[in-house]
Amino acid sequence: MLVHRSTKRGAFTVAIAAVAALAVSALPAQAFSPRSETGVTSTTIKLGITVPLTGAAAPGYNKVPYGMKAYFDYVNDNGGVNGRKIQLVIKDDAYSPILAKSVTNDLILKDKVFALVGTLGTANNEATTKFVNDKGVPRLFVNTGFSGFANVKKYPTTYALFPSYFMEAKAIGGYLADKLPGKKVALLYQDDDFGIDALSGFAQVGTSFAVKIPYASGSQADPTVVGKWITSIVASGADTVVVFGVTSASAAALGGAYKAGLAGKLQWILGSVGADPTTIKAVAPTAMPLLNGAIAASFLPSPSDSADEYVKQFQEINAQYNKGATFDNNVLVGMNAGMLAVQALRAAGATPTRAKLMAALNSQGSTFASAGFAPLGWSKTSHAGYNGYWFGRLAADGSQTPVDGAGKYVLYTTDSSKGAVVKSTITRPAMPAKGLPTN
Amino acid sequence: MRKSKSLSALIFLAIGLFLLGLSNFVDELRVYQGAQIAVYVIAISSIILLTGYSGQISLGHGALMAIGGYAAVLSYTYWHVPFLIAFTIGALAAALGGFILGMAAARLSGPYLAGTTLALAVGLPSLANQFHILGGEQGLSFDIGEAPKWIANKTGGDFTQYKWFFWVSVVCALATIWFIKNLLQSRFGRTWRAVRGNPSAAALSGINIGRSKVLAFTVSSALAGLAGALLAMLLGLVAPMAFTLTLSFTIVTGAVLAGVTNLAGSIVGAVVLVVIPEFTDAVATHLGGSEKISANLPGLITSVLLILTVIFAPNGPKLHKRKKANN
Repeated sequence: MLVHRSTKRGAFTVAIAAVAALAVSALPAQAFSPRSETGVTSTTIKLGITVPLTGAAAPGYNKVPYGMKAYFDYVNDNGGVNGRKIQLVIKDDAYSPILAKSVTNDLILKDKVFALVGTLGTANNEATTKFVNDKGVPRLFVNTGFSGFANVKKYPTTYALFPSYFMEAKAIGGYLADKLPGKKVALLYQDDDFGIDALSGFAQVGTSFAVKIPYASGSQADPTVVGKWITSIVASGADTVVVFGVTSASAAALGGAYKAGLAGKLQWILGSVGADPTTIKAVAPTAMPLLNGAIAASFLPSPSDSADEYVKQFQEINAQYNKGATFDNNVLVGMNAGMLAVQALRAAGATPTRAKLMAALNSQGSTFASAGFAPLGWSKTSHAGYNGYWFGRLAADGSQTPVDGAGKYVLYTTDSSKGAVVKSTITRPAMPAKGLPTN
Repeated sequence: MRKSKSLSALIFLAIGLFLLGLSNFVDELRVYQGAQIAVYVIAISSIILLTGYSGQISLGHGALMAIGGYAAVLSYTYWHVPFLIAFTIGALAAALGGFILGMAAARLSGPYLAGTTLALAVGLPSLANQFHILGGEQGLSFDIGEAPKWIANKTGGDFTQYKWFFWVSVVCALATIWFIKNLLQSRFGRTWRAVRGNPSAAALSGINIGRSKVLAFTVSSALAGLAGALLAMLLGLVAPMAFTLTLSFTIVTGAVLAGVTNLAGSIVGAVVLVVIPEFTDAVATHLGGSEKISANLPGLITSVLLILTVIFAPNGPKLHKRKKANN
């Protein structure tokens, strides 16, 4: 017993010493921290991003941060932003809200980033919202189309970039009614805020489905689950399938359908989130023949369209700064967000603060140059980004051409509420010379 | 006896006040890590109580933490009870789960028990995907709000939510250790030790072994449930990914590192578990900042530490040294 007691005391002492050491190690940082804004020094600006680098949703998305980093490196080599180099801290959240919360904690408290940029996933961004709001950290260009993120009251520091899933569902609904009337349509959707946002959009434009198949995020990795999707699709007698999920889910669905001998029997329509051909090729190569003829909604130009000035410039940067990575939609998304971030930082002035950054986005953001075809909607009262889609047909090699023919981008614009779906032409600011913003 | 009790009560109070006071002087990251340590302390001491004192093994405490976490969040969200009541409900729900599991556990021992509890850790959290009310993979959010004004005002300055989490967790952790410490000195503690030491002898001296084991399992589960509820508070949500197999293994590792029969060691174990990722982050940054290294290194180091501990100091570092000295 005596032995036991003194052991205990010893352990207590060790523990308290350890806690104290941990605590004291934080003191100097606090005591000598410079007066400038968190994450900004005279030579650097630190940004953070959370993305799935591992896990079921990683294929494809794991290329986004490196595309963004490549663009930042390119800008840094050309003078940076007002003399400051951009550092991007990349954190893996495995597409889990729990991990997203913990790595965002690290980004804000440990890495002390100035702003978050391109943080990925609806549920993941939701999970970190409370903390991000409390700390007033700008969260730029979230990589999700959840319509809620445009809400300034609920997400005061968050800026949406992608057209919302609500808009996308409306646009797909409009497209179905316009170009494929009378088809029997099955819907496969991710069963969280992401897919539910879409359900409301479809309901808004009155699209009816022969069957609606929800899937839990992550379950696409399970072949039995995929088998059940295919069975339900076949049982419903559908001839058209709309997929509203991540690319790994589209790939699983296409692969499953191919295995079930459904090649050529279904018209696939893939939402913008789940239509990245390079990822599908990597995950389910056998599904590529099925991809041929699939229709996909997009708001950025096709990554294979080298005639597009943005794509061309980004491809050049990719070849130089992101060695070994095939230029695809993920790289494009990363670079595009990076380019917008650079413009936002420039607009925030020579001594950027978080408040100045957000004020600049509210007042000038809608004029920024970006690869997206639809206009950007940021203002003081709304943080909605792009508001429209074009539809393109995918070929077996993964290239995508507008349904009306090469170069004929027709935009279906709408809003996240009751507005109608409108067909429009494209007006987009020109690519800044050499891809270096001068705003 | 009474005198030493009031003395140790004073010590506990002093430690508590010291820690709470400390939270005013450190960076918010440390405050958050402090709260994590406190939660681990509770989880690890639930294992120490179970394994170290009653001789049962559980690799499934993550599942019991999940029960606690979900029960707390659900009661907080749907019944609008104060958060402390929600934590209590979490602990009670986990105790109930533990009681049922304990009934089965009392009939099993060694690897069979480990296997059964392991299965629970694998299976239970994914139940959340089956029932809509549990929020699926996305989880349910949990926000206990800010510190009450009368506390925040007294300490002055910026009373962040993480500081409030720290206060709540520290008080819960100290209360837990206090509770277990006293419980172990009571008749129950002696009974458990007797059963662990020699079941046959214990049975011969009139101890109901089954009942004693079930009781230990139930109490341990309640503590795990409390830890789960606190974890949900820290994370701001509950989701299956919060209660992975890794969590179950981590707390067992923490208990082994601490010396599984050493209650106070739970603090050492908890600190080690929180410090390792911190340390590996620094190493990874030094090596060129690969996210892949810093994500995987903590697991490697923890496993190596576990193996080393089991080989060189199976009863925990401190106890081992002392025994040697006595020889």
